[in-house]
Amino acid sequence: MTKREGLEVSIAVADAAMLSDVDVVSAYPITPQTHIVEHLAELVANGELKAAYIPVESEHSAMSACLGASAIGARTFTATASQGLELMHEVLYVASAMRFPIVMAVANRALSAPISIWGDHSDVMATRDVGWIQIFVENGQEAVDNVICAFRMGEDKRVLLPVMIHLDGFVLTHVIEPIELPDKKDVDRFLPPFKYPLPLDPEKPVTMGAFGQPFIYTEVKWAQEINLEKSKDVILEVWQEFGKAFGRQYSPIEQYQTDGAKVLLLTMGSYSETAMVAVDKMRNDGKEVGLLKLRLWRPFPYEELRESIKSAEILIVLDRAISFGGPGGPVCSEVKAALYGGEKQPKVVGFVGGLGGRDITMSGFEEMINRGIEIARTGSKREFEIYGVRE
Amino acid sequence: MTKSKLTEIRWHGRGGQGAVTSAELVAQAAIGEGKYAQAFPSFSPERRGAPVMAFNRINPDEPIRTRAEVDQPDVVLIMDPNLLSILDATSGLKEGGTVIINTKKSVEQVRKDFGISARLALVDANTIAQETLGVLIVNTTMIGAMIKATGVISSESIKEPFEKRFGRLAERNIKALERAVEETKIGEWLEMAKAKTKEKPGTKGELSWKEIEIGCFITKPGNSVEIKTGDWKSRRPEFDFDKCNKCTLCYFFCPEGCIAKTKDGYFEADLFYCKGCGICATECPKDAITMVEEAK
Repeated sequence: MTKREGLEVSIAVADAAMLSDVDVVSAYPITPQTHIVEHLAELVANGELKAAYIPVESEHSAMSACLGASAIGARTFTATASQGLELMHEVLYVASAMRFPIVMAVANRALSAPISIWGDHSDVMATRDVGWIQIFVENGQEAVDNVICAFRMGEDKRVLLPVMIHLDGFVLTHVIEPIELPDKKDVDRFLPPFKYPLPLDPEKPVTMGAFGQPFIYTEVKWAQEINLEKSKDVILEVWQEFGKAFGRQYSPIEQYQTDGAKVLLLTMGSYSETAMVAVDKMRNDGKEVGLLKLRLWRPFPYEELRESIKSAEILIVLDRAISFGGPGGPVCSEVKAALYGGEKQPKVVGFVGGLGGRDITMSGFEEMINRGIEIARTGSKREFEIYGVRE
Repeated sequence: MTKSKLTEIRWHGRGGQGAVTSAELVAQAAIGEGKYAQAFPSFSPERRGAPVMAFNRINPDEPIRTRAEVDQPDVVLIMDPNLLSILDATSGLKEGGTVIINTKKSVEQVRKDFGISARLALVDANTIAQETLGVLIVNTTMIGAMIKATGVISSESIKEPFEKRFGRLAERNIKALERAVEETKIGEWLEMAKAKTKEKPGTKGELSWKEIEIGCFITKPGNSVEIKTGDWKSRRPEFDFDKCNKCTLCYFFCPEGCIAKTKDGYFEADLFYCKGCGICATECPKDAITMVEEAK
């Protein structure tokens, strides 16, 4: 019998990695990811988790060590945030191109300068194109469940890709809330042992990371792209299976109060929960407002998005990152691109907010939605607006 | 058919032979004449002795926009005759195009040996370079052959780029070029020659994106043993066992690791891999190794 416990989300994420029987953890501590890797180090040191913990001198090395571990077929986990994610940037491409199903928890945090240890999605957006499966979670339970799912998705023979689980720094990582840790035997049943098809093995040598000349590079990249696109089927399948086994169901875009909603707000990560409260209040006030929560960031869920906006007239997108000098937040510009040319297109309004740990309260979301409706009707001088900035 | 004024040139040489420099000098000469021109190498890791390509485009009137490699040349230059046995010199050659070869052979012999019926310009660039420059660097000599065969630039306009590039050695290079202009033999285009639009060497039979192994891994590692690096050499070592004292220095110095002990305790190079660098001959204390011309 599983029971709900009051757990810090970081601790629960580390426990989820342990429940998944990781073989190797290599990480470098950085706020606000620290508690995840500290707890894993503790579990290994105590002998509770039979895994190799590789301490390293930087995130670049952490991800490099993960590559090596994954290459021999070890189930590999790491976690990072912010500058740490950017420091491992170039190695992230290698992990996906070499098809190593490393799972990484990212405690989303703003980027310097000025130094900010607090949450936003600037770090994620800079790694948007690295070829990893990327999933956003909005509470501790989702973080635990999706870490377990991530191993099964990534390690599936049809996929073989690394997976990032994005959980907002502090707002999720440092919060104590009720979490149900699944039973080890149920996780074992759900997650079969990892068997990498072409591991580094002196008995059966392979060359990894060789030179790719112009005559082959395009084919390699296309194979990688098709593979990531097709991973969506497996992701859906794993979420289905997880739902059957554990009773909690996930999907690429989750709809909340969308029935008959003329106005939709789209959010990602932990702020989705506050936004739900705001939507409830506005519904009570008789406004036809609903919420879309984008969970699967890569591969981008085009069909699901198009399907979910069918009845909407206005779609307001909140980004927690700026694409400087660009058309708005990265999520909003992708949403616009996904809807462009469609038969039914809502007016899309982009906001950037919640930067560097700036809270958006329930009434804040209400204010943003109302302003979004106003912009949709009367227009704005800008491509996007920023929420909550002092004039 | 209206003929385009654009001349496209493809140089085939070996790493270190100066194909890239040749292309550069030709472009500078053309630009000096007030024409539009372009020179660039086939971008790849640089390996001395390996087959390399360089390209020119020259247009007297219009700026050149195409930046792709020349796959349908008007002129092909072969700086090392041994290349003819490993690549298709006439690949993509335009109708009426010219193949210029550094060879001692006659027009008839080249036609017979390599089945080239396109217009030929042949020059014994090795001899000219050796006699005029004292070294076996044939790039400036080959430019002379090209001037003779095509007239796409003049002997006059090449002088300034030579002076800038070679300084006090320019004079000798100009002499080599002028000798090549005189000595180059032309064999006209035969009716049977048809323009070929074959793929570039090395792009045939490659994997489709569906056939690529996970992560682009190579499941048969160590396949460099299949690569005939022996094709890279223009000179090969000859071992004189009468002089050899079995000291093993050649064995240890060979960067390719292709020198092995014979059953009698002497040493010999595996010519399948030997790149003809000549280090063994330099290191041999008994002068038992001589580098000889590979060209037949």
